[in-house]
Amino acid sequence: MKPVDLARKLRRDAAFEPAALDRGKAVLMAAIRREAEPKRRPTIVPQVPYQDIRAALSFLERAFGFREIPTARFVSADGELLHATVEFGNSLIGVGGQGHHGAISPMSGGVESQFISVQVDDVDAHYQRAVAAGARIVDELRDHSWGERTYWALDLEGHRWRFGQPIREVPQSGRRRRPSEH
Amino acid sequence: MSLPSDAEVIGRSLDEPEAFGLIYDRHAATVLRFLGRRVGAEVAEGLVGELFRIAFERRKMFDASRTSALPWLYGIGSNLLLKHRRGEARRLRASARMAAAGEAADKRAGAGALDARLLFPRVADAIEALPDGEREALLLFAWEDLSYQSVAEALELPIGTVRSRLNRARAQLRELLEPGGENRVRSR
Repeated sequence: MKPVDLARKLRRDAAFEPAALDRGKAVLMAAIRREAEPKRRPTIVPQVPYQDIRAALSFLERAFGFREIPTARFVSADGELLHATVEFGNSLIGVGGQGHHGAISPMSGGVESQFISVQVDDVDAHYQRAVAAGARIVDELRDHSWGERTYWALDLEGHRWRFGQPIREVPQSGRRRRPSEH
Repeated sequence: MSLPSDAEVIGRSLDEPEAFGLIYDRHAATVLRFLGRRVGAEVAEGLVGELFRIAFERRKMFDASRTSALPWLYGIGSNLLLKHRRGEARRLRASARMAAAGEAADKRAGAGALDARLLFPRVADAIEALPDGEREALLLFAWEDLSYQSVAEALELPIGTVRSRLNRARAQLRELLEPGGENRVRSR
């Protein structure tokens, strides 16, 4: 007997139910449907003005993991990038210039009148990434009594961002406030 | 009019994801039998959907120069099976016992019956003792009747590597067939 025939002697077919293939097909078709469905777009899209849109896009990707949607670019006839859209999780943020809408970058205006709060899956990893990309940390990564772990950072033009992740173990000081009251 | 090849169907599924359902209809039964031989019906039925879901999500990476998707699907299956090594080993030992019993019955308790009862469990042990890459190449070749070329496509290896893996696997099994060879193979 040849060695391969010896291995072949141990080949044994399994006995399947008649409908054995149905469950697998359902798993595949569910994955197909998920992809085929048009993505739901959020109702509110914050618009954030920058002096340098290209630099902002590069920073937001490197530091925060926001991905630009390439097809959403708005470019003037002479090639100037006027507006771009980045996505993260199920959300979108508009990245635009300053001017006609009246909003300006903190780099020009000197104040941040708003901040954007972002929920992430792994805030520790996100923090490391932001620091490595040169984000300025203005409030260190730490746990809060309401069950959240956060850090705050300024981006390259001084916009203020807050990144947080829910935590299961609430510190000893007790749970006084709920996240929605923050 | 000829049917569109797997490569054409997968190409079309990039724009029309539902088209990938045809790949399932064409190959799921073959792939399910492959998984079933390795880990039994129950686990295989759970794995086949997972395998095709992974294939669907990786369909952009399918090499369109290959007409059949089957070796590619075998390759994804081989990877999935690595997480089920214990179940595989159990089934292989059970198959060895059944093969030994079957052989013994055929020969009606002659001298050969004792040989079979000893031999098949040792074959199972020898297959189990092979490194993952060699065992996979051997089982795709011996159980699934894939050509060297198809095994190479499934495992994403050069054909020469497949040949050398199969030769090493053969050498291990050959020892069991040689006089006194049974003692030389490690039994675990």
